[in-house]
Amino acid sequence: MHTLTRARFFLSLRGRIGIAVLLVLVLFFATACRKEPIYELQQVDLRPPSPDKDQFKTNEEYVAILHANMFQTGSSANEVYEMAQCIESIGDKELAREVVISNFMNKPGVIIPSDEEMRANIDVFIVATYNRFLVRDPSEAEKTWFRNYIEADPYVTPELIYFSFALSDEYMYY
Amino acid sequence: MNRRHFIKRTGAAAAAAFAAPYILPSGRLFAASGGGGLAQHVVLVMFAGGVRNQESVLQRYLADSQNDPNEGNIMYNMLNGGPPLEKIVYGTGLGGINPIPALLGQSLQSQGTLFREMHAASTGHYGGLNSLLQGNTAATQGLQQKPLNPTVFEYLRRHAGLQATQTWFVGNTIGNSVPLLNYSVHPNYGAQYGANFFAPNVTFGPLGDQYLGNAKVYHPNDQLPPIYEMQQFLNNSFENIVNVGTGIGNTAEEKQDIKAFMVEMFNKTANGSIAHPPVHDSGDLSTVGYACEVMKWFRPTLTVVNLSGVDGCHSSFTGYLAALHRADHAVGHLWDYIQTQVPEMAGNTTLIVVPECGRNGEPNAILDQNDWYSFDHSDANALRVFGMMAGAGVPAGLQVGSEDNPVGLATDIVPTIAELLGIKNEVMGAGFLSPGSMSLFDRI
Repeated sequence: MHTLTRARFFLSLRGRIGIAVLLVLVLFFATACRKEPIYELQQVDLRPPSPDKDQFKTNEEYVAILHANMFQTGSSANEVYEMAQCIESIGDKELAREVVISNFMNKPGVIIPSDEEMRANIDVFIVATYNRFLVRDPSEAEKTWFRNYIEADPYVTPELIYFSFALSDEYMYY
Repeated sequence: MNRRHFIKRTGAAAAAAFAAPYILPSGRLFAASGGGGLAQHVVLVMFAGGVRNQESVLQRYLADSQNDPNEGNIMYNMLNGGPPLEKIVYGTGLGGINPIPALLGQSLQSQGTLFREMHAASTGHYGGLNSLLQGNTAATQGLQQKPLNPTVFEYLRRHAGLQATQTWFVGNTIGNSVPLLNYSVHPNYGAQYGANFFAPNVTFGPLGDQYLGNAKVYHPNDQLPPIYEMQQFLNNSFENIVNVGTGIGNTAEEKQDIKAFMVEMFNKTANGSIAHPPVHDSGDLSTVGYACEVMKWFRPTLTVVNLSGVDGCHSSFTGYLAALHRADHAVGHLWDYIQTQVPEMAGNTTLIVVPECGRNGEPNAILDQNDWYSFDHSDANALRVFGMMAGAGVPAGLQVGSEDNPVGLATDIVPTIAELLGIKNEVMGAGFLSPGSMSLFDRI
């Protein structure tokens, strides 16, 4: 009985050691396999919203793209050539573009949202306008500025906003 | 502070206020006393597009070109001398047999100073035009490139503080790089000091009527300010390294004024009331009509008009004579219009007329409908031109130089205009003029 108890004791001791070793191994491998937490910052592009636009549009490119933006259709090569000649004939190109835009605004078929549509969801309008003219999303700051501007002035219409986008420096580049 | 001290200080402050120079937009200090030029307005006509002295100032008609003894003056608004008596082809009607009557009672030669033989800087049009406007002939100047050195427009706007609408360039075409000449790419000058430009035959012609003539009018107080404000916000957000600089610094008010002028021109063109010369059957004559309208509306300090009809001489000597006769008619009308229809410019304007280059001494092989030889422009004779000034500050009835004694350079025109308008020292000191260039007044 005593012998048996002793044997059980040794067995039990051996087993305990084995279990302990096993535990150590398990713990070792379990620890080794566990991924360390990685703390990262979200990638934020600190560059200006349009850093890659450095190609100046020719007069032909400008009027062709403007026509597409305003009417949602292309104009003929002949029309593009003739409109570009008109811009060429005026020394102040900024002024020339204003006159061309003003003429477009007076033509039937120009596609502009109504004032009600714009004010029903100003954020959607702003994003759509940036996409249409500048081919990019607005930054939060830009969106906020335009939202505040539109909300503050009931006389600011989509037409005036389109006009300003078509006159902007960024619109002159691609 | 005692009484004497107070009086001393206030006196000094008042004196400083009166004597202090103004600060121009360029940042340059400019004496409060003003420029002190000889004239208040200058009109420069870059005359006709390659003119031989033989048919112009020397009045040899067919004698120096077609082995024909007929001589005579076909530019009798500008020059003294009787017209040819035979083989009249330069007028109106079938075969050009009816010369256009003179417009001026007294020729410009009699009213002013004629430089009978000047030296052109280039035998090419664009080089020649550049030399008249830059006062230089940059060796690296390309044909489809804006001027490399400052133009006279930029000198005036920067050094005399002129607004954009006080300098105008009226071109007869958008070809041959003419629209590029309203300002240079020089880093110290450039677009911000450029001149306004129209090529009226395009701007107010059929194309302009189709694409520019139906502009929607926006309210200057309620609608345009928000547009410009939003544009400014967008521009500020566009931090591109490229300098946009396509405007020439017209203020919002000036832009409105130009737009109003354009509306007026479309209306006048439609109802046929543009101030054209009595005969206006050519592009040059049409251009001059619009130049008159520009002067009447804006009363510019400097107006430059480009004519080029005589360049048809490459293939038609007959057409060349007709164009030369019409260019004279155009200049006569311009001067007459200033004196009679623009009271703000009458009596205080100086007119300068210079071809940008001459034409060859030897003809090419092309014969026209009268079997007359045609002339290109590339040899030494193409460097011979005349120059003429009349009006404010110009001695009357004076001739300088001769065929054997050339006096004056085409590049003298810029310092001459500078002297007339009171910025001679600034222009001469800028260091961009061709060596040897000087005001024509210094050559008299």
